[in-house]
Amino acid sequence: MPVADPFLQGVARGWRVLDAARLDEGKVFEADVIIVGTGAGGGTSAEILTRAGLSVVLVEEGSLKTSSDFENDEAKAYAELYQEGAARMTKDGGISILQGRTVGGSTTVNWTSSFRTPESSLNHWAEAHAVTGLDAETLAPWFERMEARLGIAPWIVPPNPNNDVLRAGCEALGWHWSTIPRNVRGCWNLGYCGTGCPTNAKQSMLLTTLPAALEKGATLIHRARAERLIVEGERVLGVSCRGMNATLSRADGPRLELRGRHVVLAGGGINTPGLLLRSKAPDPFERLGRRTFLHPVALTVARFDQRIDGYYGAPQSVHSDHFQWREGVTGPLGFKLEVPPMQPCIMAALFGGHGREGLARMGRLSHSSVAIALMRDGFHPESQGGQVVLRKDGSPVLDYPLNDYLFDGVRRAYLAMGELQFAAGAEAVMPGHSQARLSRDWPDFRAQVEHLSYALHDVRLASAHVMGGCAMGDDPRHAVVDSRGCHHQLENLSVLDGSLFPTSIGANPQLSIYAIVACLASRLAEEMNSQRHP
Amino acid sequence: MPVMLSRRELLKLGFGASLTLTTVGVTASLAGCSSAQPAAGFMVLRDSDLVLLTALLPTVIGPHPALQREENAAEATLRQLDRSLAAMSSAIQKDVQELLDLLNLPLTRVPLTGVWGAWEKASPAQIDAFLVRWRDSRFDLLRQGYKALNQLLSMAWYALPMAWAETGYPGPPRV
Repeated sequence: MPVADPFLQGVARGWRVLDAARLDEGKVFEADVIIVGTGAGGGTSAEILTRAGLSVVLVEEGSLKTSSDFENDEAKAYAELYQEGAARMTKDGGISILQGRTVGGSTTVNWTSSFRTPESSLNHWAEAHAVTGLDAETLAPWFERMEARLGIAPWIVPPNPNNDVLRAGCEALGWHWSTIPRNVRGCWNLGYCGTGCPTNAKQSMLLTTLPAALEKGATLIHRARAERLIVEGERVLGVSCRGMNATLSRADGPRLELRGRHVVLAGGGINTPGLLLRSKAPDPFERLGRRTFLHPVALTVARFDQRIDGYYGAPQSVHSDHFQWREGVTGPLGFKLEVPPMQPCIMAALFGGHGREGLARMGRLSHSSVAIALMRDGFHPESQGGQVVLRKDGSPVLDYPLNDYLFDGVRRAYLAMGELQFAAGAEAVMPGHSQARLSRDWPDFRAQVEHLSYALHDVRLASAHVMGGCAMGDDPRHAVVDSRGCHHQLENLSVLDGSLFPTSIGANPQLSIYAIVACLASRLAEEMNSQRHP
Repeated sequence: MPVMLSRRELLKLGFGASLTLTTVGVTASLAGCSSAQPAAGFMVLRDSDLVLLTALLPTVIGPHPALQREENAAEATLRQLDRSLAAMSSAIQKDVQELLDLLNLPLTRVPLTGVWGAWEKASPAQIDAFLVRWRDSRFDLLRQGYKALNQLLSMAWYALPMAWAETGYPGPPRV
């Protein structure tokens, strides 16, 4: 292997990295802080808390996979690195959910797009959700700090042809477009961010904050599910965990107990509220798990005369916010336009169709371009998002009903993306819908979109951004945690991950999680140290 | 990706679709008749699932040259699907098994798919008619079943390098 694997080198140097399946039954770990989850929130918290001199134990349900394991192999990656083997979906099956489940969480498998939280979203949180101390001015230095930490900068290499369709269409129509900032250093421009970066260019938690925390003596236990919090009165004493089986489908391994002065939940949307629900955490105003948002994604497929080869090259380098805020922050559903990576498995799932029709679609994969619209849910009274509930076996699932407000957004997104793809020179365009057909021109496409059925399962929807469910805000009647991320009812419990957000972000959320968590975790470290050394 | 089925929904659907089944009949058949054991060498898929999915595969994928040419194509696809299923949560594995039971048990298969005999004897036209019927059904459950079958089988097939030439995908870079 020409590429070094710094994580495995660290393990060889003596980092405390433990596979729960190999631990003795009943083992107990103690630390100042227990962190549940190792993604954007857990990784960022771990680096800051260890640097402040606090001892940390991290627990991760996924397994430890590093660059040596990443083979640009879609099916292997979906099985090993994604929640529920990439088969996670909303309760009624209406929206597929791609979310990481591995050391580094979604940062190990995301597509590297790194946007600051839009100021409109931050202002809305202050006005409508009683969020304090997280305005754009306060957060600016935290964005700068995390951008520097993770090499975040606009992508300087020309976009791949798939992204260039988005640029060309926006140029032709006079719509906004801009280059996406990415968290990479020395990127090879391969296009396989979604299956784990094989060259360690992506500055995921696996490569940055987790190694920093481990160097400072943190302990990382992987392949262990946090089953419930041990609560006594208004304090959390620790976390009961259980080892996962080999394929991560069940927690049936050794039982562990993690005890700490403070517990940080960073399992991400769905899993963090799920853990609190399983633990029967106090929830006097029934806010827990509610208002979980997804940026539901609708798509259109365009066929070109020339090769697009959308599976190669940085998957996301161009975006458009032309439709994001134009109808107001709280008006009809706004959306961001982007493109996805186009490896064959994920495209087979998105293209749909069976028999000759499905084969004809896949047969033109190399000449196809896909546009996606990420819809900004949670800003309008008709957009309450979903609610996390527990299945009989205690695992969490998101009940996210689809409604006419959302479908109106889908219809307008289809129209925007179709117009854009024809303007970029597409010879035919198809909406992502079970009864879609290829339209050869824009008027025919427009007519097709106006006559589609907007119903569950007919409209193909996906999500890669789970946000909310433990909303922050200073009013306990409406929020699970306060604006510092501290639980309203349990005094030594913080939520520091994407489940904090009171609405969706309106942009790919990783940098929002990094910066807000960096700010809140630094405040937590100061508070804990002032208690220890008054 | 795959489907979410509950017995309660199935019963609801059964009455809505005027199935000539009693509550007792449906519940008993779902609870008792299907083998729970994975097939030899598989982690999740059972013998009955392998027969069913092998029959559906060519109609779902279409006349792909490699699927017709490569002797082990169907088996390789089902092994790939089995590896994917093994990594899904227990809850989703159970949902998929219930969907496959629905297709395998004669009491539900006949009224819901229109396929009378064994799956291995069904003609491509019969299977296509069943897929279209589910895709365009007014019942959420059947439209979801169509989406799930299509995604499970097509994702497994297009995970295999033998499937790629037809799509123009040269394959992943080697690092």
